Amino acid sequence: MTSESPNSSRKVVVHLRATGDAPILKQAKFKIAGTDKFAKVIDFLRRQLHRDTLFVYVNSAFSPNPDELVNDLYNNFGFDGKLVVNYACSMAWG
Amino acid sequence: MVGVGSEAQKYVWEGAIPLQIHLHESEITTLPSPEPALILAPRIGYLPLLVPQIKPYFSDTLPPGVDTVWFDFKGMPLKWYIPTGVLFDLLCLEPERPWNLTVHFRGYPGDLLSPCEGEDSVKWSYINSLKEAAYIINGNSKNVMNMSQIDQFELWRSVLNREMEAYLRISSKLKLGIVGEDYTKIVMSPRQSNNEADSVGPSRAGRIPVRLYVRNVGEYTDDLEDVPPVDSWDRICYMNKPVEIQREEGKIFNLYDAIKMLLPEFFPDEPSIDEELSKLELEDEPGIGGSNLSDPDPDTNTMRKTELVTVKNETQLYPSHPTGKSEIKLVRIQGIEPKLDIPFSWVVTNLINPEHFLHICVCVGVSQDSSKTS
Repeated sequence: MTSESPNSSRKVVVHLRATGDAPILKQAKFKIAGTDKFAKVIDFLRRQLHRDTLFVYVNSAFSPNPDELVNDLYNNFGFDGKLVVNYACSMAWG
Repeated sequence: MVGVGSEAQKYVWEGAIPLQIHLHESEITTLPSPEPALILAPRIGYLPLLVPQIKPYFSDTLPPGVDTVWFDFKGMPLKWYIPTGVLFDLLCLEPERPWNLTVHFRGYPGDLLSPCEGEDSVKWSYINSLKEAAYIINGNSKNVMNMSQIDQFELWRSVLNREMEAYLRISSKLKLGIVGEDYTKIVMSPRQSNNEADSVGPSRAGRIPVRLYVRNVGEYTDDLEDVPPVDSWDRICYMNKPVEIQREEGKIFNLYDAIKMLLPEFFPDEPSIDEELSKLELEDEPGIGGSNLSDPDPDTNTMRKTELVTVKNETQLYPSHPTGKSEIKLVRIQGIEPKLDIPFSWVVTNLINPEHFLHICVCVGVSQDSSKTS
């Protein structure tokens, strides 16, 4: 590899925000490789919260499908240098 | 136009793929083995929605247990939230009819597929894709989130039953139309496009939500039948990238421009599109043949090639052929391989899926003669 596009090595800052009665995480901010899929964020939250059922949203608006790349989500929906991810234990935004 | 829809839209909505569905041999407990199920699958539909029709064919032979239905094509588990037509276009390059799929009622591969609990999961996925598309178009999802329960139910029902007119009536309330809908005007009088751009308002209005699937077929022979089946989703690059319709005076933003925006790594920077056009024009000199009904503009009439441009650079997407030339071999949308000079707004208006995403399948490969240089 002689040239790497800036996207390939970029880390994306994800802000995790609890919604409804979901427990608040000690560490609400973390970095993830842009080339990872959104599924990794969901898995991380499931492990942290010890819950199988979890509703995960972007910008309090929609649930992306787990295959979407974090880079794509950041480019399309991120702002102020971060991607805001909301999580809830019950459906928050139908 | 609300509630009418174009002829092309009707084709998309009525489009269906004949499926021949076989029960996986490990789940056959009776002799003789059950016959495969023949069923028509709507292009804009989703595989789990077919389960109520398929199950009666096989219910007598299934081993005891709880149903967790999934499908595979030549061993590749199919992602249920991708519209059936897109799966077909992407995975079955040389379209076979009927399309032979295998159904499984047991042993859900939870490590490869996200869980699906029938219609509810599909509806959830549909509505969330719609909200995501709305966010790209309008900068928020409010119009979808503020829909009444009744409208949301009716919208989903119209997709489920493929009632295009009902769908167009309800979805028009969401204000997700694109600015390019008046493309006919642009095509007829390209010089005026600049004036129109002034009246368009915020630039967001031209953002088109696209889900792009790039399949790397490696060494490519021109015979699609020789392309080996995909064995893993890792071989397919899935991208979500909006296309911003650019408006320039005297020029139509066409599918070629959109593909170039989505996959710039396949287009060398040096020649501009215009230069490229004239180059192709020269190449195509003898026999301008091939009437072009869709585009009366003679200036863009020469872009008839599906083979686009070759790029020598290695790309991170295709590390398996670091020194070969990866090039775009095929662009397929809703089962057709559109001419690349078609105005992109026409493509969007007519070939979009009902969750307001345009799904584009692209096939890239390495020409055989150049692949052995490593």
